[in-house]
Amino acid sequence: MTALDVVFALFASTAAAGALLAVTSRHVVHAALWLVLALGSLAGVYLVLAAEVVALVQVLVYVGAVVVLVLFALMLTRAPIGVRADLDAAPGRRRVAAVAGLATSALIGGTLLAAIGSTAEVPAGDGTASALGSATFTGWVLPFELLSVLLLAALVAAIAISRGRDADTPGLDDLAPGGTADRADPGAGSAAPAPAAAPAPATPAAPSRAVGPDGTS
Amino acid sequence: MSASWVVVGAVAAGGVLFFTLGMLANRLLRPSAPNPEKLTTYESGVDPVGRGWSQTQVRYYLYAFLYVVFAVDAVYLFPWAVVLAELGWVGVIEMGIFLGILAVGLLHAWRRGALRWTP
Amino acid sequence: MTPLLSVPVAADFVAPTVDYVAVLPMLIVFGAAIVAVLVEAFAPRASRFSIQVGVALVGLIAALGAVGKLIVDGTRVETAGIPAADGTLAASIVIDGPAIFLQGTILALSILAVLTMTERSTDGGAFTPQASAVPGSPGEGAARRVGLVQSEVFPLMLFSVGGMLMFPASNDLLTMFVALEVFSLPLYLLCGLARRRRLLSQEASLKYFLLGAFSSAFFLYGAALLYGFAESVRLADIAAAITGTGRPAVVGQDGLLLLGIALLAVGLLFKVGAAPFHIWTPDVYQGAPTPVTGFMAACTKVAAFGAMLRVVYVALPGARWDFMPALWGVAILTMVVGSVIAIVQTDVKRMLAYSSIAHAGFLMTGVLAIDKIGISGVLFYLFVYGFTTIGAFALVSLVRDAGEDGVGGEATHLSQWAGLGKRHPMAAGAFTLFLLAMAGIPLTSGFMGKYAVFSAAVSNGAWVLALIGVLASAVAAFFYVRVIVLMYFSEPSGSASVVATPGVGTLFAILLSVVVTIVLGIAPTVLFGPAEAASLFLP
Repeated sequence: MTALDVVFALFASTAAAGALLAVTSRHVVHAALWLVLALGSLAGVYLVLAAEVVALVQVLVYVGAVVVLVLFALMLTRAPIGVRADLDAAPGRRRVAAVAGLATSALIGGTLLAAIGSTAEVPAGDGTASALGSATFTGWVLPFELLSVLLLAALVAAIAISRGRDADTPGLDDLAPGGTADRADPGAGSAAPAPAAAPAPATPAAPSRAVGPDGTS
Repeated sequence: MSASWVVVGAVAAGGVLFFTLGMLANRLLRPSAPNPEKLTTYESGVDPVGRGWSQTQVRYYLYAFLYVVFAVDAVYLFPWAVVLAELGWVGVIEMGIFLGILAVGLLHAWRRGALRWTP
Repeated sequence: MTPLLSVPVAADFVAPTVDYVAVLPMLIVFGAAIVAVLVEAFAPRASRFSIQVGVALVGLIAALGAVGKLIVDGTRVETAGIPAADGTLAASIVIDGPAIFLQGTILALSILAVLTMTERSTDGGAFTPQASAVPGSPGEGAARRVGLVQSEVFPLMLFSVGGMLMFPASNDLLTMFVALEVFSLPLYLLCGLARRRRLLSQEASLKYFLLGAFSSAFFLYGAALLYGFAESVRLADIAAAITGTGRPAVVGQDGLLLLGIALLAVGLLFKVGAAPFHIWTPDVYQGAPTPVTGFMAACTKVAAFGAMLRVVYVALPGARWDFMPALWGVAILTMVVGSVIAIVQTDVKRMLAYSSIAHAGFLMTGVLAIDKIGISGVLFYLFVYGFTTIGAFALVSLVRDAGEDGVGGEATHLSQWAGLGKRHPMAAGAFTLFLLAMAGIPLTSGFMGKYAVFSAAVSNGAWVLALIGVLASAVAAFFYVRVIVLMYFSEPSGSASVVATPGVGTLFAILLSVVVTIVLGIAPTVLFGPAEAASLFLP
């Protein structure tokens, strides 16, 4: 057992523990923060496996951007964000889910162990920026360019669902003064049926402290 | 490769150690006088209003999303910059197409008013 | 010291070669999509909708023309890549017979889908102008009053079509995965844009997105395990690693191979809507705007079955005996589940959804024939099924509640279709034709499709599959015929419904679907010839 093995085991067990806490936490924001631990430790795992660029991508994109997105998405919902008992499924379902998760892990882990087992060695030089760069920009240039199309589609899609107006459209608020009344009135807001569809037109005044769903302000 | 990462690891460990030692010294040296008032949120002297968690504006989401898109874009720039010398103009064109397509997205976001904070 | 810079760089840089003519259809569609985004950004609001329709139609028709040129030239080429160690081109894209046939099919179907999406003559179109407004809120009403129209569906749909074109033409699992995402992601969103019954639509969108992301993860994990097995994601390399042709076979790693195939199959089977991965289908088909449902039902199936054919026939022929039993089980389950559950449906969109599950099962019998005539049968079936589906959903979008103020929302409950044959003989007649084709009644295109896949299965020893397929078809015929009986021999009960007068686009789409369904039922050789000529994968 080398020093690298020890470091790997440390990172890997931290990642597993973070993932476990993320799915068992009753506090959605805490779950997102445990996700940071899991994803960050995964970056360490990549690093030990000599995949430097992948590790950096993991930190930049997942620990950085994706978790920010998750947190904002959580904070957008009308649901109370504190501890929720009803985040737990019924005990029966929880047990089934745990069994399914364990079985999948055992299957995949067992297969990998049987296939690679103790023979695996860390390849040198495959994970460097130049190796990845020359692979991406020569043989894999088509999927790479396709990624930009994917990102563009995602951007257009995100704007389509989150913002309904464009530069030359008169503000809908002007046309219908009551258009966003359900945001200004906390009582009406909590009764709105679709948490995912928070109205895009902004409230007249954006308070530094948003109105809480329970009406406190 | 590992030698340089050992340095990185040592710096990280040093940082954690510094923080831990500082907090530990703090705990040992400070007087302890618990008071529930001390546990409330500090609001520049104003009484705290509402709860710590609250719903945010949808516009934050678009910014977060733009951040994700351009973070993904940025991670490709690192390996690209490393091999740009050998790729030559072909590489410039490849990355130009990639960035150009994303720029169209940014233009769209701008025209949709997604980049303006106030409506 | 820093490893990022100290590694010596390869001096022999090779620029990738791309055959631009061969990939022209995809380039045109993606180009049109980007132009459409720019139109969305800069065109004035009043003319935006018509410009978008124009861009979409011109792009898709030009791409179809480019496919036509590939057909005329008889192009068979692997492209977009650099030479591998053995001198052959390690290409990302392969343009061969099935790829060209499927691309042509997808483009033809998506042109019809665009035409159905332009329908605005009834009540302002199927799409909500402001997806972010809370359903039923004053903000939504305001958006409707100012006459906002949803035109972002066109760029999104073009992105999706581009991904669909690339999916069955991918030569490696990595390109295939990116193409899968490119065509899926816009679809998730398009499902949530229905003007009426917004909550149902949003629920459909969210369900499709979550389950779709889950299935993509399975696909990716499977691709990773197959990479671990073959040390390559290229389909031809995986095939060589299994059989040992041209390189030493990988031995003793069957676990990686089998689990990789299984996970990859989950991803693909989800996309075609095969049981037990079909759970999303009824909810999404019901909730999505009907033109999107038609587009999705027809084109996703074509693209996903194309990719499945390519994986099964190009990458995995050597492992056939390992995964065939499992896929047999899936095919049988799919046919049975789709046909049986469809019987109890009371919503016409849900019924068509279960019917599409059953059709996925029938198509799988063709895939599992593992033979050239199996491929041509599946290609033929996909073509005819696509036209029938687009036509059927276009008609569903026309049958409306008879509200006090003209036409209302879609009347999808089957009881509202009672007596439609007497009041609207043309619409009921066309719908009857589509249902008969789906049931596989002789002299319709559906019969020839079923005949093609079942006979391919029988001639390759899979007569059990074909037998179950025929039995399932008989069960399925029951509920198709039930709807026909309802339309012609029942008195209207419950709330009344009317058939809205279709716009030019929808009318054209329905008429063309009718023509294709009849012509290919009477003279199937018109298409059997090309399908047979196209049924050879470039290894």
